[in-house]
Amino acid sequence: MGLEQYKGDMDMCCRCSTCKFVPMQQVSGFQYANVCPSISKYDFHSYSGGGRLNIGASMLKNGFNYTHKLLDIVYNCQMCGACGVSCNYAMDMEVMAPITEFRIKCVKDGKTHPALDKIIAGLRKNDSMVPVTGKRGDWAAGLNLKDATKEKVDVLYYVGCLTSYDKKLQKLARSTAKILQKAGVDFGIAGDAETSSGGAAYEMGYEQDALDQAKKTMALIKQTGVKTVVASGAEDYQAIKVLYDKFKLKGDLKVLHIAQYIPQLIKEGKLEPKKNLELAVTYHDPCHLGRLGEPWVHWEGKKVPGDRFVFDPPKVYRRGTHGIYQQPRDVLKSIPGVKLTEMPRNKEYAWCCGAGGGVCDSNPEFAQWTAKERIEEAESTGAEALVTACPKCEKTFSAAIEANGSRLKVYDIVELVEQAIE
Amino acid sequence: MTLSKEVYAEFEDVVGPEFICNDPAIMPSYYATEFAAVILPENTAQVQAIVKLCNKHKVSFRPVCTGWTGKFQAGVVLLDLRRMNRIIEINEKNMYAVVEPYVITAQLQAELMKRGLHLNVKGAGTNCSAMLRGHGHLDQSTGGDDRNHLAIEWVTPAGNIVRSGSLGSSDEWFCGDGPGPSLRSILTSATPPGVTPGVFTRAAMKIYHWPGPTKFPIVGNSPNYALSEIPANFMTRYYSFPTMEKMWQAELKIGESEISFELMGFNVAMVAANITTSNEEEEAAFKRLSKEVQGPGFLIILAGNSAADFEYKKRVLNHIVNAAGGKSLASLEDPRTEGILMCQCIRISASIRETFRPGGAFSSIPVMGQRDLTIKWAIGAGKAKEPLIEKGLIVDDGGASFGWGVEQGHLGKTEIFCKFDPQNAVAKQAVQAWHDEQSARAFKERYFALLSPGQPEEIGKALSNYHVWWNKLQKELDPNRVSPEGGALV
Ligand code: SF4
Ligand code: SF4
Repeated sequence: MGLEQYKGDMDMCCRCSTCKFVPMQQVSGFQYANVCPSISKYDFHSYSGGGRLNIGASMLKNGFNYTHKLLDIVYNCQMCGACGVSCNYAMDMEVMAPITEFRIKCVKDGKTHPALDKIIAGLRKNDSMVPVTGKRGDWAAGLNLKDATKEKVDVLYYVGCLTSYDKKLQKLARSTAKILQKAGVDFGIAGDAETSSGGAAYEMGYEQDALDQAKKTMALIKQTGVKTVVASGAEDYQAIKVLYDKFKLKGDLKVLHIAQYIPQLIKEGKLEPKKNLELAVTYHDPCHLGRLGEPWVHWEGKKVPGDRFVFDPPKVYRRGTHGIYQQPRDVLKSIPGVKLTEMPRNKEYAWCCGAGGGVCDSNPEFAQWTAKERIEEAESTGAEALVTACPKCEKTFSAAIEANGSRLKVYDIVELVEQAIE
Repeated sequence: MTLSKEVYAEFEDVVGPEFICNDPAIMPSYYATEFAAVILPENTAQVQAIVKLCNKHKVSFRPVCTGWTGKFQAGVVLLDLRRMNRIIEINEKNMYAVVEPYVITAQLQAELMKRGLHLNVKGAGTNCSAMLRGHGHLDQSTGGDDRNHLAIEWVTPAGNIVRSGSLGSSDEWFCGDGPGPSLRSILTSATPPGVTPGVFTRAAMKIYHWPGPTKFPIVGNSPNYALSEIPANFMTRYYSFPTMEKMWQAELKIGESEISFELMGFNVAMVAANITTSNEEEEAAFKRLSKEVQGPGFLIILAGNSAADFEYKKRVLNHIVNAAGGKSLASLEDPRTEGILMCQCIRISASIRETFRPGGAFSSIPVMGQRDLTIKWAIGAGKAKEPLIEKGLIVDDGGASFGWGVEQGHLGKTEIFCKFDPQNAVAKQAVQAWHDEQSARAFKERYFALLSPGQPEEIGKALSNYHVWWNKLQKELDPNRVSPEGGALV
């Protein structure tokens, strides 16, 4: 069905422009009122969530005219979901789904972005969304971790491509493993056998590749026999939990992000962050852990004929309400000496780090522009450090901090927890 | 009409290649029209240069802010004012704020609340331009329409820059009428023009005292926002009355006693829309609330400057409501619902949930005039909606209209909606017929006349040949006819 199934939703767009801003009640002043990086950078209405829907609706009706400008609009979007949250405060309509389907259609029609094609070629060849150096499981050397493909374990720690291969980010995998070890969790990794989750490929528009990866990853998970997967990357967490469910592949697998799992371990008395870190922090909600991380809702129904846009059975929209917002904050609050101050844009209306939707590869300058705005917002809180829960965010922020000479430090939440439980 | 390469290049020289586009891909995002080009000026000088080029090449232009739906002729140059988004000044002492067109009301409002100040929020919503002229829920305490426009900077259709009021004789924005030219009768609209041709590039908006918190204590995640507590000396209630007449009498007395911060003659369908997060919830709430009310009603927000002031206002309100046989809607007194409604009505001004969400589109007949007369007309217009509701062509809102008194309340706004599915051609046609009939009836039965572009001569003649004068003015202001009128695009 693709884009066609969202015709009614796209037709609903009233062009109110709310999707350009944080929800109106949360507008805290002149600054930080914007929520969509794309319209904020490129200004033409076409780059906003609503603009994209209006283009989609029109092209469904009048045919697809793939101009250079159209592809510029399509690929300069972080697929961050912020427009959907702001729209769905008031409107009953799908926003992110048609935007995603439009991109999928572009890819199916061969209207791809060369930088993203290159990434996908790498995925098909090496089963990785990032360049491969060494082996996938090299990061675990010396940690004495169980191989979940060989030994029976309760929990599979899914590491993800970026954390596995990026030398600067492998520390996150090691921190996560140490935390799980300290808590006495019976866990293992898949090491070299781990496959790319495919989540990023889906957002880039390569639906079939994402589906292929989902099948491979689920086959691996089934082979390990675990009932619970813990991911440290927000994108992978969202892929396995949400996308695989959409693909009807997840079954009853329990999927947790490490930032969700840690408070549970603390509550059970298995972890105790004791060390005083004396650090003023602010927390960046990764899109995939927050608004995009809320569970998939399986729904099939029909519009009730007549006046109202209502459905039988009633349609449940994913409005960003049920993302993982509180647990990472609970973790930070549990660490002695950590003082958390919120940024003006937070939780379901957080500003994206800039890397999503393949933008970090297709338009690194735009990704950095977006990250810079977040860095400035973080600095405005007086925090010494920006804490996140996603390797891609950390990578993007680190580059922006370096490029802009900021004194802000950036940490993944696992790095702080590891320090606090030492 | 497309622009020749040479003409396009001239426009491009004004804004730079990044801020002009005529690619067909972008057109559908800007209303289904083939614009000659979409241009994003950054400042008044660029607007002026663009308008002058439009005159030179006899190309029509239309400015637009955040948007909403609109109709445009093909071949028009669209000025998307998005880059003109600065708050120029907040003058706390003289109680005004100067803004460019793309500052949205929510931004200015948030800045003002931090300073103990507020502004009139238009019914279109806080997602729309802060510079917009019009009416809203706060009209009782702030006045509406041109009351809130002070000095204005205006690029006329011929490309001249006119600075009205005090700005015409100094650098000060404090007054719309002088010292300097008062153009109140011409500058009838905000940006982009609904009636006034040309472009308003900066305007001073009157601001008011705000006795509430610097920001609302919002808890929860969208769309389930609520207030952790009702701010001190604030109260929101909905009162229904046995008859429309009694409701209006109460509204009038409230206006005269100057106790309300916000008074909005919502019908229960609008209340239901504002307190719910989906259409299904809304339908159920509408049915439930319809059973609870005894007749038409209004929502009122009291804001006390002190505990004593709050007590006084509450006492006066009770006295007025009791005398008119009013009854508070008990289910809305629940603090959670009260907080939702309060924040929704102050910070958002309702709008999207009650207009577009239920069916996807709405048609409206808004009128400013003597409340008792316009209410009488609205009762008839509501009755005329009933067959459409019965046939399932429009959303069931009980056939109700809504409205509110402005300032002391004799004058006010009355409006009636038909919410419908724009994809349903039969519904669309029926709503258009209803709209035409009810507008015509308003004039025929001498309730009021709707002055709109292309107004029939008959109406103009009945209003001191207004249309003749307006056409003459337009000819003077827009000799090349490059600034066509259209609906107010908020
Ligand atoms: S997508 Fe939603 S918020 Fe954006 S313009 Fe359309 S209706 Fe408004
Ligand atoms: S997904 Fe994010 S970047 Fe893309 S249009 Fe929506 S808010 Fe903008």
